[in-house]
Amino acid sequence: MLLALLFVMVFGLLIFGVPVAIALALSSLAFILLAGQVPDLVVMHRMINGVNSFPLLAVPFFILAGNLMNTAGITNRIFDFAKACVGWMRGGLGHVNIGASVVFAGMSGAAVADAGGLGTIEIKAMRDAGYDPDFSVGVTAASSTIGPIIPPSLPMVIYGVVASSSIGQLFAAGFIPGLMMAASLMIMVAWYARARNYPRDARFSLAVLWGSFQRAFLSLLTPIIIVGGILGGIFTPTEAAIAASAYALFLGVAVYRTLTLRRLLRVSFDTIETTAVVMFIVAAASIFAWILTSNRVTEQFAALILTITENPVLILLMINVILLVVGCFMETIAAITILVPVLLPIVVKLGIDPVHFGVIMVLNLMIGLLTPPVGMVIYVLSRVSGVPFERCVTATAPFLIPLVAVLLLVTFIPQLSMFLPTLIYR
Amino acid sequence: MAQSTDGPGKDYGGEAPKAPPHFPQAEDEPVDLSDIRPEDSIVLVLFWALAGVVFLQFFSRYVMNDSIGWTEEIARYLLVLVTFVGAALAVRKNTHIAVEFFYRYLPGAGGRVCSTLVDLLRIGFFFAAAWITAKLALKTNQKMTSLEMGKDVIYWIVFAAFVAMTFYALRLAWRHWRQGYSVLTRPAERQLID
Repeated sequence: MLLALLFVMVFGLLIFGVPVAIALALSSLAFILLAGQVPDLVVMHRMINGVNSFPLLAVPFFILAGNLMNTAGITNRIFDFAKACVGWMRGGLGHVNIGASVVFAGMSGAAVADAGGLGTIEIKAMRDAGYDPDFSVGVTAASSTIGPIIPPSLPMVIYGVVASSSIGQLFAAGFIPGLMMAASLMIMVAWYARARNYPRDARFSLAVLWGSFQRAFLSLLTPIIIVGGILGGIFTPTEAAIAASAYALFLGVAVYRTLTLRRLLRVSFDTIETTAVVMFIVAAASIFAWILTSNRVTEQFAALILTITENPVLILLMINVILLVVGCFMETIAAITILVPVLLPIVVKLGIDPVHFGVIMVLNLMIGLLTPPVGMVIYVLSRVSGVPFERCVTATAPFLIPLVAVLLLVTFIPQLSMFLPTLIYR
Repeated sequence: MAQSTDGPGKDYGGEAPKAPPHFPQAEDEPVDLSDIRPEDSIVLVLFWALAGVVFLQFFSRYVMNDSIGWTEEIARYLLVLVTFVGAALAVRKNTHIAVEFFYRYLPGAGGRVCSTLVDLLRIGFFFAAAWITAKLALKTNQKMTSLEMGKDVIYWIVFAAFVAMTFYALRLAWRHWRQGYSVLTRPAERQLID
């Protein structure tokens, strides 16, 4: 009964615009006080120690690395390089957009960083080249979700911490699905380009390609250091994050000389703010998740689902629907911290690897970033492009089709996710 | 597309400006730091201390082949502090993530009532959190493993952060009350976090 109240309270508070972290913590506090089984000290103790975790140290530094790269001009160089590579195709800047996102995905772990930094450049370039804003926003939004699938990835770090599975393996597992997302989106862009007769934006030129490669070379090393370091087992994710930050700082200060002290201060404060907002949600969600587990809600839910059906295909479909719906209403980090304890027992009973499930879950929640009401990526793109929120939503909608197609493939063909982790770690 | 459409080419440091690359953002814009207050220097120091400690650990493990023992514990505590002291900064700037979508369908007065309730709940929570954290700090007599310091120091700093959050939340509520709207009812006024 009280537990039902807990859920009603969380969702009620969320809908009425109480910040996500406060909605979770306040409801948990109310539950603990009303239930009276444990002292209220537990709430703050759980909250504070929920972020007292070594793997979570990767969070601020992946955020820092992304912000540094956007400010230091690394992002621009990568965009130019992508343009020289695929800009000659029909609907070229659409492909460039996706290609640049793939490279950026290898350096940054948050879709919102991709949308806010690279997205600004992409939308401006596409607007200048005469693309309609709907198409630009749609491609940019959809391609930014590749960021947290290809390593590194903030959501995967959080998932790894909550599910206590290997973050390195999760990173490896996202690599192929991320490339599949890019491929599916490029097919979509190619189809659009044909149907609407989009121009070719530049002639292919080896000289330009070489020039942009030279300019981008040091920048392009960043994803190679990070992805190679993690997949090669040289770095732990936290180490990769600090190495990437240090490298980006070095490029910005010593090589490109684009980072002034004021810019560095700006980057620091942006990073602190994002880190605090994300980690505050993690802290609040950890007390909420603790209540769910200690009251055996998660077990009961697992039993309930398994009475409906024991067919793994149906259950996975059901879980996908649940995740897509929750992804629409809930912020990614909160959704992971709350849903992993609930869903993981079911999934494990079905014999699905937690690493594979991590990819499924993050992919679902990334699609949720593109849908109202809590589509963070859409909010950011609406702000940077000046296109109204509602129009951004409808512009992005067609691009959900290729993403959902990839989601289904990834869900039902475990090898797509598990091939690399098995190869590397076992 | 001609590269010149994106603004003037510029010499970028040591690089030869053969074909001027286009850099539409960042570099040419002045940096706006108007949202920063003197008290933010505390969290700035905590954050760079965290970066330093984590880098030191990384460095000692790879270069000296022997990671320094205390770095892990201290890094975790610094992460806790950056989280809560930084959360106070985000309360001041009102940038904690919230769902504002449904206010699109709430007319003026209803929206006003709801957003005022949100402000009051926020104050209430931070006050309660500060209170409980103080109790927690008083009850804690654990010591840190690597430093000669009680773990309650961490809790006291978190307590201070919650006191600051209560203060900022009160000020925010007061502002919303005086101006007659909050960012919930007028999302256009909001600055989103990145």
